[in-house]
Amino acid sequence: MNKKQICITLGIMCFILTFAICIQIRTINTANSTASQTLTDNGLRDEVLKWKEKYDNAYEELKKSEKTLEEVRQKATKNDDSSSKKEEELKINNTLLGLTNVKGSGIIIKLQDANENDSLATSDNISKKLIHNGDLLAVVNELKNAGAEAIEINNQRITNTSSITCEGNVTKINGEKIGSPFEIKAIGSQGLLYGQLTRPGSYLSLMSDDGIIVEVSKSDDISIEKYKGVVNFEYIKAIK
Amino acid sequence: MKKIEFKVDNIAVSVVMFIVCVSLISVMFMQFKTVEETDITEIESMRETELRETLSEWKTKYEQTNEKLEDTKNKIEEYNQKMEKNEETSVLIDKELEQSKLNIGKTDVEGEGVVIKLNDNDDNDIIASDLIELINELRYAGAEAISINDIRIINSTEIVDLDNFSYISVGEQRLESPYVVKAIGNQTYLSSILNLKDSGYIDKYKNSGKSVEFETKKKVEILKYNGDMNYKYLEIEEDQ
Repeated sequence: MNKKQICITLGIMCFILTFAICIQIRTINTANSTASQTLTDNGLRDEVLKWKEKYDNAYEELKKSEKTLEEVRQKATKNDDSSSKKEEELKINNTLLGLTNVKGSGIIIKLQDANENDSLATSDNISKKLIHNGDLLAVVNELKNAGAEAIEINNQRITNTSSITCEGNVTKINGEKIGSPFEIKAIGSQGLLYGQLTRPGSYLSLMSDDGIIVEVSKSDDISIEKYKGVVNFEYIKAIK
Repeated sequence: MKKIEFKVDNIAVSVVMFIVCVSLISVMFMQFKTVEETDITEIESMRETELRETLSEWKTKYEQTNEKLEDTKNKIEEYNQKMEKNEETSVLIDKELEQSKLNIGKTDVEGEGVVIKLNDNDDNDIIASDLIELINELRYAGAEAISINDIRIINSTEIVDLDNFSYISVGEQRLESPYVVKAIGNQTYLSSILNLKDSGYIDKYKNSGKSVEFETKKKVEILKYNGDMNYKYLEIEEDQ
């Protein structure tokens, strides 16, 4: 009788424990897969760093060879009048295309999303208290209208291929993510730029009415870096 | 004799049971730990897609930069070879100048692309910001050359409403509806971006009651920029 009882208890315990182990093994399997996912994550992080470094190196080297090319080009064209004129024009074109670092006088605009509790804001619309890609496009357009010769937003040079887009809630320029606060630098006639951008009824004044924090300042020493991407046109052909 | 046997048996069973229980319980504890860790790794694994995205971005940037680097090195090589042999280098500068003129908009160009017609209708006028948004979306989709009513859009072109929205000034020229916007670039890409359901330009503007017509063309012709391109306020800054 005693033996039977022991057997039954044993049987039940074994059953429970086996059941528990089975459940745990299942968990182990999923745990294993997440563990390996952490490994791929780390692997991916390493990969990202590796490629970033490769890019940085390549970019450094590109900067050097572009400089060499310019020197070689100058050397090659200096004895020929028409060639050196062409060299000059090429330089101007590249500057207009945003392929050179430039400096000069102009204005700096700082934009920041409105404070949430800003009671001064006339607009009840929350969306208007945030800076959207359309706002940046409008400001860039006003800068161009005031004769800006070089523009950059958060270190992204505006070129003739630049787009300012909004994907989800991420703003992108030249395919690079940027975010509020925005710093827009523009080189050109300082008086004209400042006057146009701060006049009553300007786009910036409208934004400011909505509660966006707008700050415009003049500067005589603005540096704007060149476009870091690559322009590679494949579809346009010159009509002869 | 029988009684002793039974006792030994009993003790043995108890010991075995005890060991089994201890080992099973410790296994279970180990498992619980893993379960807790699983919750943490879940958050980390969420970053995987983002990591992959970043990785491919850096790869593309590296490849583009590397391509440009090779191109620059080749040009240096070409110049050096010509100079060594005392040959004329003007061919090379001509080629470079042609390419830069093409990129900047100083040449008439043709290629595959799209044509978009925007019309004022009884309820809705086309205004400057409609065109600005279209240009931005075309650039995002990789347009290499753009014109509005045969006025070439270059980097410095501004688009402004005039006379209380009755005209639009594009690059200081007064335009009236209909506005014909031409763009050259990868046709499939241009078309699919603009025609995205609901969020694409065409759908978005049709839904808001504006008149928009879209057309793809095997051959689009775009005239060169009709004006002087230069700068007054910029100074080139050399790379360190």
